Amino acid sequence: MSLIASREITSREPGTRGQWWRFAVLVIVTLVVLVPVFATLLLSLRPSGASGLLTFDNFRNVFANTDVRIWLANSLGVTLATVLVSVIVAAPAGYVLSRGRSKAVSGLSLLLFVIQSLPVITAIIPLFVLFARLGLTDNLIGLVIVYVASTMSVATWMMAAYFDSIPHALEEAAWVDGCSVFGSFAKIVLRNSLPGILSTAIFAFLLAWNDYLVALVFLRSSSIFTLPIGMQTFFQQNAVDWGSVMAVSVVMLLPPAVVFAVLNKYFSVGGIGGSLAGR
Amino acid sequence: MTRPTSLEQTSPPGTVPAGRAATTAESLHRPRISRTAVTMILLAAPCVVLLLLINAYPLVVAASQSVRDGTLIVTGDFVGLGNYADVLTSPRFWSAARFTLIFTIGGVFGSWLVGLGLALLLRTKIPGRTAFKVLLMLPWVVPIVVSSTAWNWLVGTPTSPIPTLVAQLGLGEVHFLADPTLAAVTVCVFKVWVSFPFMMLMTSAALAAVDTTVYEAAGIDGASRRQQFVHITLPLISRTTYISWILMTIFCVNDFPTIYLLTGGGPVDATSSLVVLAYRTVFQDLQTGPGVAIAFLMTLVLVIVSTALYRQIRKVDIA
Repeated sequence: MSLIASREITSREPGTRGQWWRFAVLVIVTLVVLVPVFATLLLSLRPSGASGLLTFDNFRNVFANTDVRIWLANSLGVTLATVLVSVIVAAPAGYVLSRGRSKAVSGLSLLLFVIQSLPVITAIIPLFVLFARLGLTDNLIGLVIVYVASTMSVATWMMAAYFDSIPHALEEAAWVDGCSVFGSFAKIVLRNSLPGILSTAIFAFLLAWNDYLVALVFLRSSSIFTLPIGMQTFFQQNAVDWGSVMAVSVVMLLPPAVVFAVLNKYFSVGGIGGSLAGR
Repeated sequence: MTRPTSLEQTSPPGTVPAGRAATTAESLHRPRISRTAVTMILLAAPCVVLLLLINAYPLVVAASQSVRDGTLIVTGDFVGLGNYADVLTSPRFWSAARFTLIFTIGGVFGSWLVGLGLALLLRTKIPGRTAFKVLLMLPWVVPIVVSSTAWNWLVGTPTSPIPTLVAQLGLGEVHFLADPTLAAVTVCVFKVWVSFPFMMLMTSAALAAVDTTVYEAAGIDGASRRQQFVHITLPLISRTTYISWILMTIFCVNDFPTIYLLTGGGPVDATSSLVVLAYRTVFQDLQTGPGVAIAFLMTLVLVIVSTALYRQIRKVDIA
């Protein structure tokens, strides 16, 4: 009987065949995949003593007794500066990539592709020497400069890909009315590009907020640490205080999670691949 | 390199109309650079200057460092290709190259298989599909510093939760990060965990673009689901697949935190990739020349591999 029933469903709606095993597989996979995330949340809320079920003591502790507040401020400052500068520099370059048609533009496109595939480690060693001379190591401005440069290729591609979707007729009409190229870019194209700007901003945000290597090479003093580097000091003690570590982890995890949750529809890793393929 | 040539119908202010006008006398007397060109150059300038100063110029300096003695602070004597010779004859380099290869192959194909599988599962109408998509993106969104910490807590020592669980299942004491082979496997699995959402998202986007009527036609012609998958689905998403392989190859070869934060390159160099080795050579062993030479050799291989894969995309494009 059950065989007949399932056959009937199959013949009526092909899409629902095997829906329940698919659902079950997804639930199991999702739960397994998220174990590290659950562990982080749970440990951060677990009291160090035997009493109580869940507590915010770990958070109170790290904010009161460690430099977490400074690291958080540093991370936020560096990240927001990176996002801002990145968009300001990449948007006009993306416009050139989208609308320009000379050989120089193909050259720019090639430059972006080549630079994108170069390892950060190759550039970071000489940069460390150069920045040390300029007093930009152990310095948050130095960090922002490197982050903005790291976002450039992908950010420019993403902006260009979005500008491609804006009808050229809008600018052409403005030119007829005597508007300059820069004027049409600023007043027409940019004004209609909020989704593209947000995608680029999210990309730059995640890159700067999550970076470990550049900060590890450049930063030396605790007052300049960003969160990823500051967090490592917890592991240099004899016994790791997991409650504190996980509380810092949650602090570090929240901004990207919130950005992702709120701006989910502008989050496009696909855009990166698409832009790479199109050019 | 196909781009809509937007400015052909209506030229922007300050440009000489393209095409016919270029042959007229007028074009012979036009200003050397039009106003539009100046604006375009100015718009691109900050980006180009930044790329040249922060990305390209250090490469030139690195090239010079790689053929010299000395430390980060003191520039040493010219030693020719000595550093390269030292690096290429050192077993540490070859062991790191081997691990980089394993890590890249494992990372690219592991994350692709998992991502493809999940993308296919999420393709049908399933209750809570959006929720699954958002939750499954988390490993990609969570900072590596955070996820590596959680993984360390889960598998780091013999008394951690997962080794305890394994022991209770009667499989004996397992040292996930202390045994050289198992540490390499664990790092690869961690990389797959971090990267599969990227593959899932790329593949989902490609699957969404596939016209489903193709399947109806194939179904009528008697193609099995498996045949449909192999002969229709895979070819239709092949372009995206190649692109995601290229990107993931670049991500894997260049990866530092995923490996360094979980194992630090150990035990005894077992999970030391070329990037980790370059970092340790420069900043821990304080040998700048050899370290930069390693980074350079790695760059060379990466450029060759990604160019080869890029050509493959072009072929698919034409076919």
